[in-house]
Amino acid sequence: MIKNPFAYLFSCLFVLAAHGAMLINIFYNGKYDDIKDLIILAAAVLGLDISYYIIMLFFKQYTYTIDFMLLLVLNMSVIFQSCFGGVSFSVKHYVTCIAALIACRFGHILTYNHNWIQQQKKYIWLGIGILMVIILTLTGSRSMWINIGSFSIQPSEFMKPLLVLACATSITEQQNKHKVWKFDIVWENIILLGITGAVCLLQWWCRDLGSIPTFAAIYAAGFFLRICYPKAKFSNKTLIIAGSVVLVAVIIGIRVAPEYVRDRLFVDIWSDKDGNGYQQSQALIAIADGGWFGKGPGKGFLHNVFAHESDIVFSSISEEWGLLYAIMMTLVILLIAASPLINPPRSYYHGTMCAGICAAFTVQMALNIFGSCNMIPFTGVTIPFISMGGSSMVTSGFMAGMLVAAQSPVFRKPKPKKKKSAPVRRRSAA
Amino acid sequence: MEDMNLMLCAISAAALDICALVLIIASYRERSTGNKQWKKISANMELVEQGFTYQLGCDEILIGRHASADIRLPDISVSRYHAMLTVADGVWTITDIGSKSGVYVNGNLVKSRKLHENDVITLGNRKLTLRKIADNKKAKKRNS
Repeated sequence: MIKNPFAYLFSCLFVLAAHGAMLINIFYNGKYDDIKDLIILAAAVLGLDISYYIIMLFFKQYTYTIDFMLLLVLNMSVIFQSCFGGVSFSVKHYVTCIAALIACRFGHILTYNHNWIQQQKKYIWLGIGILMVIILTLTGSRSMWINIGSFSIQPSEFMKPLLVLACATSITEQQNKHKVWKFDIVWENIILLGITGAVCLLQWWCRDLGSIPTFAAIYAAGFFLRICYPKAKFSNKTLIIAGSVVLVAVIIGIRVAPEYVRDRLFVDIWSDKDGNGYQQSQALIAIADGGWFGKGPGKGFLHNVFAHESDIVFSSISEEWGLLYAIMMTLVILLIAASPLINPPRSYYHGTMCAGICAAFTVQMALNIFGSCNMIPFTGVTIPFISMGGSSMVTSGFMAGMLVAAQSPVFRKPKPKKKKSAPVRRRSAA
Repeated sequence: MEDMNLMLCAISAAALDICALVLIIASYRERSTGNKQWKKISANMELVEQGFTYQLGCDEILIGRHASADIRLPDISVSRYHAMLTVADGVWTITDIGSKSGVYVNGNLVKSRKLHENDVITLGNRKLTLRKIADNKKAKKRNS
């Protein structure tokens, strides 16, 4: 039984209203050849909304806010992706959105009991190991994809939630410090640093350099919360040392970066509009063309540019729907990441998990949006829940489920186990 | 026509804004309901030590000698951060977080152990008993 039926009902209605308003906007203002395309899109979006409202009723939770926000953002992304360059229902993206919703349920179920998930540490580390072996053996040194027929999978994406879980588990080990020379060392932190380093090296090998800041941010968030455990405060000394280490790592990273990365770092996009600066210059022109309220759904030109639906999706949305709408979409995703501030997690484990997820979402969004706007080098990272891409969508959905778990941990009393009745010994008549 | 386009864009943006606002309000409402439910299910236990009672008011309770511990036991035999009491699924668990003198439950040295009603936890020289709150109240009533 839902504890807050009114909150649930109002959330359902307003999510429907937000999607309805977008569809009405397309009807009057969008570019479509046949009204059937729009009807199919509307039926799919509203149908998914209503189906998920019904399905959610079967899951006993204390908060449904993230589910509603997730549904709001996912169906918004279905509408965006279906409108680029003219309205036509994007079946592939719709399927990945459903996969993300299913992954969200799995994420919740697997992580809502913090005692249980902490006992699964060896399986988490094993999962990371298996994924690393898969990347080493099945993807090439210059590719991050595994192609199976018409599907492509990016295995490094699945490593993100596993690294979040690895950083959060066995946090009590933090108290087992060992004196090595002049430092108090916790071996588990060093092992985690080694794993993160190995993952980053692997990304380097795959030429997926955009993911490295995300993995580094997950480890950094987990590490900071680990050294704070259980109640200690941050000291200024710790912060200065950590800041210096990050700075040195960035400088070394830039120094030893491959040539094509350094080209991107220092490229003047306007003097190299047809070369390295092509995507960014087109993205900036599109944002300027769209203005605050956009050209109208399906009326943009950016769909002609490569990766308009993934790497420069922020610009594509700004062009067709307006900068105002694109910023608000960003805020809704940030709201998902910041939801633990409204409804704080009840355990240190869940808190650390939330910090890792927030770090991953924020860094990914920052890399994508600021990269599109030429404020930082262009990396080709996806915006969670919005950019097209199955691996990214499923991973983001799973991590959203982990956020739900942190805010809706299991409270119920365990059912008492039935006592097995002792076998009755009968004395033989003899 | 231009005005209408502008108006439609503004309406869809406003709908998104209001929806986000409603979801934030709903989240606050759910938080208070969740807290009440948690108290109903998990906060029915307390730790008792020679007349002192410690309420267990959250998912993780740190026991130790340090001033920042949730349950502070100012005794030299207790480590600064001695043990962590956690609850999940209505079950309380005690975990040794690297103490020097160890954690004993009903006289047995443990690293981590699920607790039951009336279990005696020994931390250094201190002995704490996990009890149900309701039972205590009944006892008080009986005494009065």
